[in-house]
Amino acid sequence: MAARAVAARRPWQRLVPAALWARPRRLQHEGQPERSDQPIHMENPYEDPPKRCVLCGINVDYKNVQLLSQFVSPYTGSIYGRHITGLCNKKQKEITKAIKRAHVFGFMPIMFKNPQFLTDPKLCNIKHPE
Amino acid sequence: MPRYELALILKAMQRPETAAALKRTVEALMERGAIVRNLENLGERSLPYKISRHKERHKRGGYFLIDLEAPPSIVSPMMDHLGRDIDVIRRAFIKHPKVAKAEECGGIIPVSPEEKLSSKKN
Repeated sequence: MAARAVAARRPWQRLVPAALWARPRRLQHEGQPERSDQPIHMENPYEDPPKRCVLCGINVDYKNVQLLSQFVSPYTGSIYGRHITGLCNKKQKEITKAIKRAHVFGFMPIMFKNPQFLTDPKLCNIKHPE
Repeated sequence: MPRYELALILKAMQRPETAAALKRTVEALMERGAIVRNLENLGERSLPYKISRHKERHKRGGYFLIDLEAPPSIVSPMMDHLGRDIDVIRRAFIKHPKVAKAEECGGIIPVSPEEKLSSKKN
């Protein structure tokens, strides 16, 4: 498909003989017989497993106010952004939805962080530059 | 029938009155054709913010969770019914969050820089 698109952009190919611009068949590398000393294509055995965010594998619920409060500012109660929490897209969305639900249903305070949870371990790096 | 979860916050009352309010709610649900699976008490706690309801300002409330299976048609009438009940501070119907959700997370898949550039909206 890419070759056809390329051909459409070069109408001069029909006027000029192929011998001048095409690579001669002898030197083309695609049709060559398979040789045993060529490298075997395999998956990188030293590749790292995919990076996991803090919440990978943890079920996020609107009732779990302690977990949700870890991603909220203690001073204003605003939800931290992705660059601060370091969560993957899916989990960040889930957390945001759960926090908003908890606000509306009367489980979590809105303007501040529940003082009970102020001494929880810090998951978010607030000093992270944008 | 789809499963729902009813998160209910009742006024902070004495035990017999709370029991009566819950009984009323569950009976109303069953009357409309819901099957109540489980009723959990999350305890009486102070509300995260003061809630004004039915001409009263509430600071404490009893949190209850009703696990039920119901036809979708009863959600609106049930919300109306609970809205008229003076003992209910806040009511919320949600689709029941199933526990199987968390197993499929495969970690952060790195996006190659070419894909990032080609998908930019600008």
